[in-house]
Amino acid sequence: MSSDTLAAVEPAVELEGITKRFPGVVANHDIRITVEPGTVHAIVGENGAGKSTLMKILYGMQKPDEGTIRVNGKEVTFRTPSDAIDAGIGMVHQHFMLADNFTVLENIVLGAEPKRAGMLDTARARKRVTELASSHGLRVDPDRLVEDLGVGDRQRVEILKVLYRGARILILDEPTAVLVPQEVEELFQNLRELKAEGLTVIFISHKLDEVLSIADAITVIRRGTTVASVEPSQVTARQLAELMVGSELPTPETRESTVTETVALTVSGLTMEAGPHHPGVPLEKLRQEGARLLLDDVSFDIHKGEILGIAGVEGNGQSELIEAIMGMRPAHGHIALDGADINEWSTLKRRESGIGYIPEDRHRQGLLLEASLWENRVLGHQTRAPARRGIWVNRSAARADTERIVKEYDVRTPGVDTLALALSGGNQQKLIVGREMSGEPKFLIAAHPTRGVDVGAQAAIWDHLRNARAAGLAVLLISADLDELIGLSDTLRVIYRGRLVAGLDPSHVTPEQLGGYMTGAITDTAEES
Amino acid sequence: MLSKRFGRMAAGSIAGAMLMAAAACGGGGGETGATSSAAPSAGASSEAPKTGALKVGLAFDVGGRGDKSFNDAAYAGLEKAKTDLSADIKELSPAADGSNRGELLRQLADAGYNPIIGVGFAYGEDIKKTAEEYPEIQFAVVDSASNAPNVTGLLFAEEQGSYLAGVAAALKAKSGHVGFVGGVENDLIKKFEAGFDAGVKSVKKDAKIDVKYLTPDGDFSGFKAPDKGKVAAEKMFQDGAEIVYHAAGDSGLGVFQAAAAAKKLAIGVDSDQRQTVKEANLQPVIMTSMLKRVDVGVFEFIKAFQGGAKGGANTVYDLKVDGVGLATTGGDIDDIKDKLDTAKQDIIDGKITVPTKP
Amino acid sequence: MPAGLYRALLTVAGAVAAIILAIAISSVAIIAAGASPGAAFTAFLNFGETERAVVNSITTMLNRAVPLFIAGLAVAVGFRMNLFNIGVEGQYRIAAICAAFVGSLFTAPSWIQIPVIILVAAVVGGLYALIPAVMKVTRGVNEVIATIMLNYIAINLAAYLVRGPFTGKRAEGLLTTTTPTLPESAWFPNLNWLFTMFGLPAPRGGGLWGFLIVAVLLGIGLWVLLERTRFGFDVKASGLNSSAALASGVNPKTMVISAMVLSGAIAGLIGLPEILGDKHSFGSNFTPGLGFLGIAVALLGRNKPGGIAIAALLFGFLDRAQGPLQFASVPPSVIMIMQGTIVLLVVIANEITSRIALRREERRAAQQLGRNTPVEVAA
Repeated sequence: MSSDTLAAVEPAVELEGITKRFPGVVANHDIRITVEPGTVHAIVGENGAGKSTLMKILYGMQKPDEGTIRVNGKEVTFRTPSDAIDAGIGMVHQHFMLADNFTVLENIVLGAEPKRAGMLDTARARKRVTELASSHGLRVDPDRLVEDLGVGDRQRVEILKVLYRGARILILDEPTAVLVPQEVEELFQNLRELKAEGLTVIFISHKLDEVLSIADAITVIRRGTTVASVEPSQVTARQLAELMVGSELPTPETRESTVTETVALTVSGLTMEAGPHHPGVPLEKLRQEGARLLLDDVSFDIHKGEILGIAGVEGNGQSELIEAIMGMRPAHGHIALDGADINEWSTLKRRESGIGYIPEDRHRQGLLLEASLWENRVLGHQTRAPARRGIWVNRSAARADTERIVKEYDVRTPGVDTLALALSGGNQQKLIVGREMSGEPKFLIAAHPTRGVDVGAQAAIWDHLRNARAAGLAVLLISADLDELIGLSDTLRVIYRGRLVAGLDPSHVTPEQLGGYMTGAITDTAEES
Repeated sequence: MLSKRFGRMAAGSIAGAMLMAAAACGGGGGETGATSSAAPSAGASSEAPKTGALKVGLAFDVGGRGDKSFNDAAYAGLEKAKTDLSADIKELSPAADGSNRGELLRQLADAGYNPIIGVGFAYGEDIKKTAEEYPEIQFAVVDSASNAPNVTGLLFAEEQGSYLAGVAAALKAKSGHVGFVGGVENDLIKKFEAGFDAGVKSVKKDAKIDVKYLTPDGDFSGFKAPDKGKVAAEKMFQDGAEIVYHAAGDSGLGVFQAAAAAKKLAIGVDSDQRQTVKEANLQPVIMTSMLKRVDVGVFEFIKAFQGGAKGGANTVYDLKVDGVGLATTGGDIDDIKDKLDTAKQDIIDGKITVPTKP
Repeated sequence: MPAGLYRALLTVAGAVAAIILAIAISSVAIIAAGASPGAAFTAFLNFGETERAVVNSITTMLNRAVPLFIAGLAVAVGFRMNLFNIGVEGQYRIAAICAAFVGSLFTAPSWIQIPVIILVAAVVGGLYALIPAVMKVTRGVNEVIATIMLNYIAINLAAYLVRGPFTGKRAEGLLTTTTPTLPESAWFPNLNWLFTMFGLPAPRGGGLWGFLIVAVLLGIGLWVLLERTRFGFDVKASGLNSSAALASGVNPKTMVISAMVLSGAIAGLIGLPEILGDKHSFGSNFTPGLGFLGIAVALLGRNKPGGIAIAALLFGFLDRAQGPLQFASVPPSVIMIMQGTIVLLVVIANEITSRIALRREERRAAQQLGRNTPVEVAA
């Protein structure tokens, strides 16, 4: 513990004994953080450790039950975010809050427009924005539409937006989650410049390498309370992770190959139109007509016991690929499961034939939040044992099998009658993984299987995937976590603008190389692994 | 997610409620009554029935009391019974969907009311059933025929009043071209047409009479469609009709509007519409109105009951008892009063028999 | 306490609180209308002095509740899937006239005649609901708009049929139009023995409608279908999370069509209690608006058959007081005010209680999480 304060300067932010009782999520308990001005201060912790609650308290979105907040040495009470903004605190959200069809300038001034005689004073706004941008090294074109911008640019717009409102203390919530490595480096450069300008940055993350490279001070949160304050020079990533988890750290390594010769799933020439589907039109004709293609001639095989990883920046066709394989959206091309052509099969039949699906967004596609756990167990298995008995739902068998999943997958819940939304994200995800592994699937789509789950659950999910792979399961792994992709996959493909642009060997590739393919910076079709 | 669903549901229920209101307006039986009774009953309040000799119950049709029309006219008659015959009175309105007409009659019967009057032909079937269940009680139904031994049908000689209206129209229309707008093409409204027709022809044999019914039999919306009434009357005026007589309930307003626009005349129905129509510019076009004295019918029935009369038959209120007649407000027909009186007397004396079917 | 029981108790408590609040609000409205709330509530509870009056009052209440219950069920089937079948109104009217007409065309023993009429009503209602369902799945037409439009068509079509092709002989001097009277074998036996077996007088009018039994069976059957079968599970999944249902292999088009047709088939039965039990024909006096009331009843009953039964009985109880209120010189529009406020407040109360229940579950789940505290590692 080394949270000694420099006596001369008042800390930019000082949290003392912050406690928040809040049902359902890990509450904050006796949080103590001191952030020195002009530094980048990282707050790290597992998902669900209480980081978000803490940030909401600091940004005035929630009121602490106990404790004090001091900003620049002065005690403050925030009732709303605007109180926090008035105190010079700004927040860059993980999910950008920008209006797509507005220009950068309009987005920045939105809600704080300089007015002259009731009209928007564009000239003054532009001057101010340009000043801010150049003085902080945040280069953006103020007149471009936000919808045309890349993720990194959008983030800079968000930061400018906060600066425009006069923030001297910036909170960045998981800012690198959406960025590729190159963009991350660019962001860090911006943050260093902000720091040089005397601004304070509070940086929330669970990516420890990044934290170690950018932060001047690190506070670790576990189970809602601050467990350590360390300096990056004094710790390794591994030590930091152990602080976060409180136990030995898992790794996603799966080096010994279990890949067999038997092909489980074949995808060939899969093509999807952005507009309405025109059945039977050949790919060449679609190309000629200039149809926008969400998937463009995607082909691959997955063998039994193989994990095929698909890397890519989100929105390059991953969701569409899943929808096509699941039969939720029509596409051209051929899909065969165990040699059987499943093109014409309904989603239900595909599932019945042994396709499991861990959806990318569990709340949207994976769960009935307002239904009990056992009903969620039935979901997707309503036509199969043990959930089905003739026309009836076999409630007792479904309950019993849910008990099994709860035990085997360590789902922490009061019981199987608990509503799904009462569970934390990690436990919800473990339930889904358990469900999709039930009924001996032949092929599993795992889309971001450990997104937003804590490290403990992550390790458990990785273990389950590895075990199933060893037992001969074919897995299509789609993830934004490059470590996960590299660590778990037997084969890596990169998807870029609906096309598979590279096949890589996960044992040789680096995250930087992957990032190059993902952003289209490297275009040569790489060697097949 | 929850709040979104709630929002959709709330929106759905609001939409439903609005449609419900719309349906309530559109549904239910109509009446030929246009507006207001001869004796508006403002301020009249009902009292709890005392243990008196005469306890009169009355059940309104959909719309209930305060419709300034048919129902209010019936109530005026009931009130007269209270004043003149010291009757205890009780009047009930049905639910907006008219689903409890029978229940109202039974509740009145159970509460010891006798006689009980149903206002409007919609009561026809319910009165029959209730009358069979309560044979000791006397019932009456306005505008519908007697269909049980203890039911009196209170009918009106609309053809006689309409005959006088026809005479007046023929005398006033120099070209001899007049029109008739009926709300719904049923037997009741056909009586109006038949009388009007006969009256006109009695003055001018070669008179031209345009006839238009707004809706066919069974579709009572013709009584509540001023727009349709207006279109029908406009056509007649364009074709050269000088005076249009309507028996179309609320749709008559459209006839008056058409007459005002064409600077022609119209004849109202049921009540003295020159007094009851609110729009001042429409009043002068209403030359006269064919009065249908529901108040008289109700009162006379109660009086007869007190005198020991039993049901099983229809009572027809005609010119003799002033159950029908012409309104003289405005004095437009004062100059032809003699001829009208002669025609009236001829009908009363039986010299003229007015047909009930056109 | 088990989570399910807790949720149920909380719901009941919320509904009771909402009704008490609705009574308070209605009292203000009654005072504003110049009447006494005391007199009004006495009238609501006054079922009459004589035994016969009490029997009649109970019958009126139950007879009103039966079609409302069926209407609520019909609406609820759609609501469960977030499908807003506003078209129940049109479906039941068109089904009622077709069933009444078909039933008058032949005479068969009751055990054939009545089921045939019920079947015709269900089929016609279901087919009429199929139209908006097909429009929705093929062309994406919003079912609310489609069903509202189809309501107008159905109402006017029924009005045309009753005075035209389907019209029956009219009694002398009557102006109302009806379909031909059903043969006596189509008259649903009443349940007056429920009263007479206790030595009470039989109710007047059509008596206690025997269709009550059909409605109860329908409610139980629908509960079983929705709560216990795979179809019911698919309905629930589609309603709670349509994208998850899609990803789980539930075909949304099939679900929309089957739910709408089921809703319409149930809607087709709404008019039958009245036709088979009392009027024995479809006429211009046929009760309109039950489909719209069904929306309120379904909302009040939280789309569950048990809740809908209670809601329908509550509406029947309030509607029954139409006469007694007027005897007590209270404007009967109090009934509509009470129904409106109760629906609104119960919907709000439902929302509040379900949130309280969720909080409690989250807390319990969080406690569970807290028990598995791993060993802390010193920094």
